[in-house]
Amino acid sequence: MPRGKSNVNFRIAIAVAVLGVTAGLAGAEAAQPASAAQWSKLASLPDWTGIWEVDWANKRGIRTPRPQMKLTPKYQKQLDEYRAAQKVGENVQGEAANCVPPGLPGIMTQPYPVEFLYQPGKIVMLIEAYMQFRTVHTDGRKHPEDPDPTYMGHSIGHWEGDTLVIDSVGFTDSTKIAGGVPHSDQLRIVERIKRVSPDWMEIQTTLIDPVVLAEPFTTTSSYRHLTDDIKEYICLENNRDGADEKGRPSLNLEK
Amino acid sequence: MNAFNNRAALAIAALAGSIALSLPAAAHHSTAMFDFSKTVEVKGTIKEFQWTNPHTWTKVDVEGGGSAAVEYGLEGMSPNYLSRNGWSKRTLKTGDKVVLQVHPLKDGRPGGFMVSVKLADGTMLYNLPHRDDPAAAAAAVQGR
Repeated sequence: MPRGKSNVNFRIAIAVAVLGVTAGLAGAEAAQPASAAQWSKLASLPDWTGIWEVDWANKRGIRTPRPQMKLTPKYQKQLDEYRAAQKVGENVQGEAANCVPPGLPGIMTQPYPVEFLYQPGKIVMLIEAYMQFRTVHTDGRKHPEDPDPTYMGHSIGHWEGDTLVIDSVGFTDSTKIAGGVPHSDQLRIVERIKRVSPDWMEIQTTLIDPVVLAEPFTTTSSYRHLTDDIKEYICLENNRDGADEKGRPSLNLEK
Repeated sequence: MNAFNNRAALAIAALAGSIALSLPAAAHHSTAMFDFSKTVEVKGTIKEFQWTNPHTWTKVDVEGGGSAAVEYGLEGMSPNYLSRNGWSKRTLKTGDKVVLQVHPLKDGRPGGFMVSVKLADGTMLYNLPHRDDPAAAAAAVQGR
């Protein structure tokens, strides 16, 4: 390529890049700050202040046996093999033991609390386990056409009375929907969250994945109200637990 | 086995079952390396109490009944959970004489999961919600 032409192409490339950045900035500037009216609207939302801890010890006393997922034949076969390997000591420890957070849906049923923060147009969840967060857009936007995969997915939410309904899609393959059960790129998770009494919140979670699940799978978990703040949780601070690539556990006594 | 032993065995089995059920399915890790069907009692002296995530870790010099003390490494719940249930970084101090209930490691190394600790003044502290002890259960429920 003649030098002159290359120079022109290079200039054009820079011009396009500068234009892109400028457009990006202009877009950001164009976004209006939340108005006082938008902030005051939040006052009419249900009061979820405090933090909410999943009732893993069944203090509420209403927990029923967890229903079984109905899998499509291919994934049922995979699960059978996964379980068979458990009998020889494999698949008994997951990546969470190496401090990899589980993503949705598992992150919502860790034995640590969740806090909900409201802003105009979004709800942010602070999740104590692994110090995670979720952003739920409540400004009426749709999901992206083909979202880049993430652990928490892309979440949009709306209120149906006192119930927050969240729809999430776009999950990375690193997450599982249960031990030994992966998901496809068609996984959709619908959560219905409601404070049912001063002390208790319920989250009904439905997993929809026509590739892996023969039918949608729904569970309900109770969360107990605590008056406290979310605490720091640095999983790698002093992690002695581990799992190897076959899911065999280890525990480091030496330090 | 006499009736008493039978009942004790049943109670232990029930306790183990209730703990297993109450452990969250998708916590930081499974309990696969511990033998939750066994609870052993050991006496010793606290060497170090590590108030860290994702688990507290306690080094204890366990009395060997005549022979030299053996250092045990004991995993406990996290500071996050324990600080809401009556524990602090000061709960166990180096030099404290304690009696511990432990789910031992399956591989036979000196260590395990700390079920409970009895301090020299008789105070009992539990790592998991403990229904057999009303005060501890109430404390756990109140999330103090």
